[in-house]
Amino acid sequence: MSKLLLIDDEDGIRKVLSISLKSDGYDVATAASGQQGIDLFQKEFFPIVLTDIKMPGMDGIEVLRRIKEINPEVEVIVITGHGDMKSAIQSLHLGASDFLTKPVSDQLLSIALKRAEERLKTKKTLNNYANDLWNMVKEKTKEIKRRYEFEDKLVQRSIDGIVATDKEENIIIFNSAAEEMFGYTVNEAKSAMNAGNFYPEGISQKISDIFAGKDRDASDIFVGDEASVTAKSGEAVPVRFSCAMLYEGDKPIGSVGFFQDLRKIKHLEKELIKSERLAAIGQTVAGLAHGVKNILNGLKGGLYIVNTALKNGAAGLAAENKKIDYSMTSALPFQARSLKRIIDNNETERQQKKLKTGWEMVERNIHKVSDLVLDLLSYSKEREPEYEKYNPNIIADEVCDLMESKAKEYDIDLIRDIDREMGEIYLDPKGMHSCLLNLVSNAIDACVFDLDTQKHWHVKVMTRRKNESGVAFEVVDNGCGMDEETQSKIFAEFFSTKGTRGTGLGLLVTQKIVKEHGGTMYVASQPGKGTIFTIRLPGKKV
Amino acid sequence: MAKKVLIVDDDVDVRTFVSSVVEDIGYKPELAKDGEEGIGKIKEEKPALIILDILMPKESGIKMYRALKTDSQFSDIPVIVHSGIAKRTFLRSQKALDEFGDQPVPEPEAYLEKPVEPEELGAMIKKFLS
Repeated sequence: MSKLLLIDDEDGIRKVLSISLKSDGYDVATAASGQQGIDLFQKEFFPIVLTDIKMPGMDGIEVLRRIKEINPEVEVIVITGHGDMKSAIQSLHLGASDFLTKPVSDQLLSIALKRAEERLKTKKTLNNYANDLWNMVKEKTKEIKRRYEFEDKLVQRSIDGIVATDKEENIIIFNSAAEEMFGYTVNEAKSAMNAGNFYPEGISQKISDIFAGKDRDASDIFVGDEASVTAKSGEAVPVRFSCAMLYEGDKPIGSVGFFQDLRKIKHLEKELIKSERLAAIGQTVAGLAHGVKNILNGLKGGLYIVNTALKNGAAGLAAENKKIDYSMTSALPFQARSLKRIIDNNETERQQKKLKTGWEMVERNIHKVSDLVLDLLSYSKEREPEYEKYNPNIIADEVCDLMESKAKEYDIDLIRDIDREMGEIYLDPKGMHSCLLNLVSNAIDACVFDLDTQKHWHVKVMTRRKNESGVAFEVVDNGCGMDEETQSKIFAEFFSTKGTRGTGLGLLVTQKIVKEHGGTMYVASQPGKGTIFTIRLPGKKV
Repeated sequence: MAKKVLIVDDDVDVRTFVSSVVEDIGYKPELAKDGEEGIGKIKEEKPALIILDILMPKESGIKMYRALKTDSQFSDIPVIVHSGIAKRTFLRSQKALDEFGDQPVPEPEAYLEKPVEPEELGAMIKKFLS
């Protein structure tokens, strides 16, 4: 039931109207003067107030003003004297909802009240809407704030440096990793610097072009490439840099750069390379020492033989001289002298033979040392290949010519299988020559080492143009072949199957030269059946 | 007639050197460049001593050693193993082979690690032959 306050100084009207209002279903309170009405209103809330204008003391206009002051939402209906349009208009100005003239007709009162009720209802609905809206705004604002803070934390906590710009390339985000990497504070960056100070060279220009609409292809400006940026201290910092444009619809509104600091990684890489190099040096030294030790043993043996031959030669001669009974010289001077000569000759011959053997041994080992040193040099030397236009067939022919006699010596057929369509390509003739020579001489060794004497050995040297852009050398033998374990080791340093004859560097040097050509090397082998070595080289006809 | 010493080694330098030492102390060297040839020479020449390298292609040194030590015909001929590997390594490998079901093989009469001084080698040979 709606509450209603009725203010009128006339007792009769209060009574009559109260009855009528109560019958309309209102919970009516009455006041006999303006002041009484206000007092009552301050104690209790009434959504509708019905007040007479003309009252002694506080009149209805003042009541209306006060009530509206206390609560502007209240529906105030004023009751004016007949023909008092001035008061009616004044009260409407002051916010009265309606006016009724005396004498008050029940019908008009009902209508006025009904309208007031509706307005109250509408107001209430509107209020509810406004409240809901306000609550929603509050909620959303809170969420946005939370999300902003979260994202800000995300940006700040990132290990990568993050720098973002608006479309004037002013810095708007500069996280703590960026501060640390570049050595500028966020305030320095935001106030006095732009993207050009931080992005790697060329990127800033590209971004400006995009903003200016000159460059439309902006999908990936820079993704995960290594670059270098300059810190405040002048230090060049290696970074992995990614950069993206920020768009609103189609319109670029800014850019963001991500900088991953590579200093630590680079440092670790260097350390790793260093330790790998040390390990490699250690291995190399061990292998080298072993090779040199063997050769030294050979030299020492040779020296021993030479020395004993020299000593025995001298001592032997003296001894033989002493043994001859010179008493006989007078009797048989001729025979004794010739006997002495024969003995001398025999002994001298023996010692000379020995001397020769020892000396050969020394020579052989000096050769070995020089082979080893040459191989080592060509392995370790940073020799730039000297490329020139050259027909690979010429190399194959040269190598075959060179190895022909050695092959014949061991009864091995050296077969040439030359692709006449080869044409000239760019290669380093000297380097490739030594590669092919190495493979052919290995192939001959493989036949020499082969124990299967039933075989008729051959070594085939093939050249092939594989396609437009590639050629191949192939060296095929039917010698002893290699098991898988051996195959896996042949490209290792100082690995040799040839006992003391090999330096263990030949294939390594060959592989190095092939790699320098951008080529690849393959091996296929079967124990007892033979081996195929293939060198593939990139090479367009020139 | 001078006693014969069989030298089995794949390295021609070692063969030359050892045979020179053998000659210098008055014995007759016989040469073989691998185990297979070595076995043949034992049968032919009946050496009084064998100087054997055990690291030769195709394990023929080890094979030869085990073959002649398990053959009653030859097992009495003293063998000096002359090798680039340490004695301990060699003995361990022999023990492993023994356990693999092969007949156990006695240790060699002497073991010399390369490189060996000519005096030492000469003294060792004399010890076995005089």
